[in-house]
Amino acid sequence: MDNEKLLAALKTLEPQISVRENADRLAVTVPCERLGAFMSKLKLENALRFDILYAHTAIDWVAENRFELIYILSSLEHGHSLMVCVSIPRDAPVAPSVSSIWRIAEWQEREVYDMFGVLYRDHPDLRRLLLEDDWQGFPLRKDYKDDFMLEKPQ
Amino acid sequence: MGLITEKLPLYLDPVPGSSWFLGKLDEVINWSRANSLWPLTFGTSCCAIEVMMAAGASRHDVARFGAEVARPSPRQADLLVVAGTIVKRMAPRLRTLYEQMAEPRYVIATGSCVISGGPFIYHSYSTLRGLDGVVPVDVYVPGCPPRPEAYFYGILTLQKLIKEGETVRRPGERRKPVLAALPAGMTVDQIQEEMRSLLVTEKNSGDRRNG
Repeated sequence: MDNEKLLAALKTLEPQISVRENADRLAVTVPCERLGAFMSKLKLENALRFDILYAHTAIDWVAENRFELIYILSSLEHGHSLMVCVSIPRDAPVAPSVSSIWRIAEWQEREVYDMFGVLYRDHPDLRRLLLEDDWQGFPLRKDYKDDFMLEKPQ
Repeated sequence: MGLITEKLPLYLDPVPGSSWFLGKLDEVINWSRANSLWPLTFGTSCCAIEVMMAAGASRHDVARFGAEVARPSPRQADLLVVAGTIVKRMAPRLRTLYEQMAEPRYVIATGSCVISGGPFIYHSYSTLRGLDGVVPVDVYVPGCPPRPEAYFYGILTLQKLIKEGETVRRPGERRKPVLAALPAGMTVDQIQEEMRSLLVTEKNSGDRRNG
């Protein structure tokens, strides 16, 4: 499916989406409370059939006080791909987990939790993945500081 | 080996002419050590592509210097080539590998990440700023990543270091670490000129093949 058809299909599925500019593929922004239902429809709808979650990451927009969660989806059956973006508030970073839809999201969400401290509702095992278990703080947040880190001299 | 380095100087010292003999023995041992460095390749990032793969492949061919038998096991290796960024969690594992290697063991640190932290020196929560806090380094090869030629120069520098050592009399002696940069007087223009001529010959031979 090409991008226009895909976007039209997504609009009928979920009218509240908006297109996100400056992306290398079709990217849509979904309100956070609609995310779970929208994602499971993407996986199950026959015309869409997004069966792979390639990547999941987050962006820390510290000036706007929000995290943007990015899901990159792809369909082996139809050969199209899609980026789904969700904004969540930075001071209460809670998002629904999609690990019941794609199993791989379990680890990807653990990594995002590890680096950004995003909490996922209904995640089966939300622990740190890459850093030590006793690590304090979330190092990919823009305001992260620790004793080891060296500041660039002005 | 232990017999030669520990017992032999003791017995031979009273004998006249023994220092000449020990010197020759040194030369033989050093010659064999320097020309059969078996590297344990510890590649964690892009330096591994240049230093392990490109240097080992046919165009550059590290076998010319006797260091092509890359060992995945530290127990069979005597040269630890650290190629790539070392982070906090990797450092204890690297130390373990170094401890498992048999004496004599040498360490080459390739690339700016291992030398100083490189591009990750500021604002990094995990990257070590320099390998020398983890294992003692013999030769530093600068570059980001170093070209295979620079790595060869590092190997040749290490061979020179090994050949200068007094293996029999002072077996475990460590020398000061050395920075293996390209020889003074070598300019970028010369290197580029050489690469250009190489590419031209390659193109010509390719044309011959095709037509």
